[in-house]
Amino acid sequence: MNDARALNGRDHLIGAALCIGYLLLLTGTASDLAMSRDESFYVHAAKNAANWMSQISSDPSSAFEREAIDRAWRYNWEHPAWMKLTFAWSWLAHGHLGLFPNESLAFRFPGMLTAALLLWLIYAWGASVMRREGALFAALAFASMPRVFYHSHLACFDIPIAFFVALTAYAYWRSLADRRWVPWLGLAFGLALATKHNSWILPGIFLIHFLWLRRDQALSGKNERASIAWLPSMVLLGPLVLIGTWPWLWHDTARRLLAYASFHLRHVHYTYEYLGINYFEPPLPISVPFVMTLFTVSLTVVALCLLGLYDRRAALRPPSLTKPHAENNRRTEVLWGGCLLAPLLVIALPSTPIFGGTKHWMTAYPFLALFAGAGFLALVERAEISSWMGRRWPTWAFATLCLLPAAVETAHSHPFGLSHYTPLAGGVPGAADLGMNRQFWGFTSGSLVDWIAERLPDGGSVWTCDTTHGSWAMMQRDGLIPSNIRAEASMSAADLVLVHHETHFAEVDYQAWVAFGSVQPAYVLRYDGVPIISVYENPTEPER
Amino acid sequence: MAEARRNLGLAAWVWLAIAALAIFELVAHPIIRAARPSDESWQAAAAFVRAQYQPSDRIVGAPAWVGPIVRSELGDLLSLRMAAPPDTAGIDRVWELSIRGAASRDEPPTLEQEFDGVHVRMWSLPGDELIYDFVEEISGAKVELVRADRSKACPWVAARQAPGGLERGPMTPRERFVCDPRRPWLWVGATVLADLDLQQRRCIWQHPAGPDPVRVTFTDVPLGERVLVRGGIDYQAERRRVHAPVTLRVWINDQMAAELVHEDGEGWSGREIDTSELPREPAIVRFETTADDPSSRLFCWSASSVRSRLAGGGRDE
Repeated sequence: MNDARALNGRDHLIGAALCIGYLLLLTGTASDLAMSRDESFYVHAAKNAANWMSQISSDPSSAFEREAIDRAWRYNWEHPAWMKLTFAWSWLAHGHLGLFPNESLAFRFPGMLTAALLLWLIYAWGASVMRREGALFAALAFASMPRVFYHSHLACFDIPIAFFVALTAYAYWRSLADRRWVPWLGLAFGLALATKHNSWILPGIFLIHFLWLRRDQALSGKNERASIAWLPSMVLLGPLVLIGTWPWLWHDTARRLLAYASFHLRHVHYTYEYLGINYFEPPLPISVPFVMTLFTVSLTVVALCLLGLYDRRAALRPPSLTKPHAENNRRTEVLWGGCLLAPLLVIALPSTPIFGGTKHWMTAYPFLALFAGAGFLALVERAEISSWMGRRWPTWAFATLCLLPAAVETAHSHPFGLSHYTPLAGGVPGAADLGMNRQFWGFTSGSLVDWIAERLPDGGSVWTCDTTHGSWAMMQRDGLIPSNIRAEASMSAADLVLVHHETHFAEVDYQAWVAFGSVQPAYVLRYDGVPIISVYENPTEPER
Repeated sequence: MAEARRNLGLAAWVWLAIAALAIFELVAHPIIRAARPSDESWQAAAAFVRAQYQPSDRIVGAPAWVGPIVRSELGDLLSLRMAAPPDTAGIDRVWELSIRGAASRDEPPTLEQEFDGVHVRMWSLPGDELIYDFVEEISGAKVELVRADRSKACPWVAARQAPGGLERGPMTPRERFVCDPRRPWLWVGATVLADLDLQQRRCIWQHPAGPDPVRVTFTDVPLGERVLVRGGIDYQAERRRVHAPVTLRVWINDQMAAELVHEDGEGWSGREIDTSELPREPAIVRFETTADDPSSRLFCWSASSVRSRLAGGGRDE
């Protein structure tokens, strides 16, 4: 790996093409996905934020009073504000300019933009230290992870935090060689803090990397030492950006910050099914993030990542076992390795609350993809593929072959992204046999809208199970479900009852049986033959 | 030079392995998809079962996750008791529609047939004859809240059902005994419980009110050789293992026949009451639930009066 090759216009052209291409793909496929449970909460919070911002222009003096701020920001106080602000800006812009074909896309667009920018960043960082083919491979490998593709659509924080974590790591890495990057690092870290709490582990990763680096430099006998200027930048600017972008913290700051930290350190445990056991309380098995990664990321990409790690093993050795070498005096591999492993290890800790899905360690995946790119390049170079015919096409053909499984699986995973499992798990039915989590957040109701509309031609009501009423209302505003088919709070008062199949939702299935006196669903939505949603039909006039 | 050649050879093998891995993924993906049975296969299998179905048949899916598909095809044949059996009384045959080589029983079936990926098996299991299902007879019972000096009858009413939802407990039936409208959990009626293993159990909700019993009395109960009594607590309340035990006392003709003390963590469990020595005439059977602390005691029980069809007694799982 090079220490850093200067990027040129061609590199940024490729990065921009990746970014724009992914953005178009995401915007073009978003309407297949009903708003997920958490999105509906963030949309509500973003609307509050938008109203508050409107108040700033109409009545600035009262907008900054505590009462106005608390009214606008109390809802969803447990998450920082940055992405909610961007959702709000996008929605306000849509309201004025009609930028998007529907309202949900207005909220989702900022998240999609971070996904697209992340591809650019992966490519740029990769191209700085290795051949372009490897960097491009890494970006495409990340883009074609089925669960990354799903989460990239959402007005949530999981892909944005993956972007801001990678951006912060990149700024830190640049700041080690170029002090002009130091303030940008503080800003990037601040935005990461202001996006999601996954960012809390970054200073620890950087500190370990930095100590590693300094030990390298000490052993090499050089006078030149990497500067620690990055640390005060993160420590000072980071919290400033967090607080500056989050009006909720402008009053009663210390207590609210503590409450925020406490909320996540003592987070409620989500129920999570893993290898046939329904976990209600920690500890989850240590294997969860590793097995879930194996079961949800293309095996070829994982194998190339491992190959990349193996190929760079010399650069990953502790300083005392490594000969310092000029071409990589920033220990990029160690930094990438830290950013890859730390999120997985945090989730694997027995004391960590049960958060659930792969999204919670998705910040590791850009680095998994970068190592996969490095592994791909190592293989191409060692096997001398290009020299076989003296042409480059065998390299590209091999890259295509390695990326094709992920691309095919991602295409097939849509719009059931969270239900998708790779062939290593036996696909979707194999994962059902193994007793793996089938879905969460109720977004799969979006795959039922045509059936429901056909079943209730004159309107009616639906008990929506894990799909929130906010999500349902958004589907109505988007024109996906007729406005005369409303979400109903009571099963017995509904024409149709949805049951999202997760093991711990079994009780909801049984409730529907008793409510309607029948165990026969009118329809079972399936994905690769595996039940996703059962729909029960009220045999009598609904109880109003 | 030799080492370089060796390295090249190794790299070429790794290259081949990675290419093979990619091809494996590409090929496995459509193979997995193609292996799922078609709708027509499910329908053909269901038609086969439907043609031979008898009311004492239970129908299951294997693996368990195909249950919704099986019920969508044949659910109209299944009573709540057959879909959520509290015990095995009254089940003469079990039909199983299975895919992917799964099986719900180990013993050889009486009958089996393949429908292009959907395997139908049937087991004959003549065992206990169900002569009285207390759960299905609940509407004819008398329910009271008993106090030291008096008892208060709970009326059988058609009342608004619970909204339903995750962690809301068993659904209230449309008609039930309502003992205290101020305590909405203090009702008695037939429902389906998600037990500690999240298995479905058709049962009578009889949340204890405290140390004083909630009493349910059945009259004219035909007795066979045994009464199978089972009970459990909603999984959300039972899995925490922090609440007081629930006591279920069973009285037959004013004699206490059994006392079940249900501790958290036991799951769906119970015992058999031997009634073979009792007179063969209709009996009065009373069920009383108590708990020192009734909070989160979402208790539900079932009872079946049974007669064995086999010499040497019946069976139960």
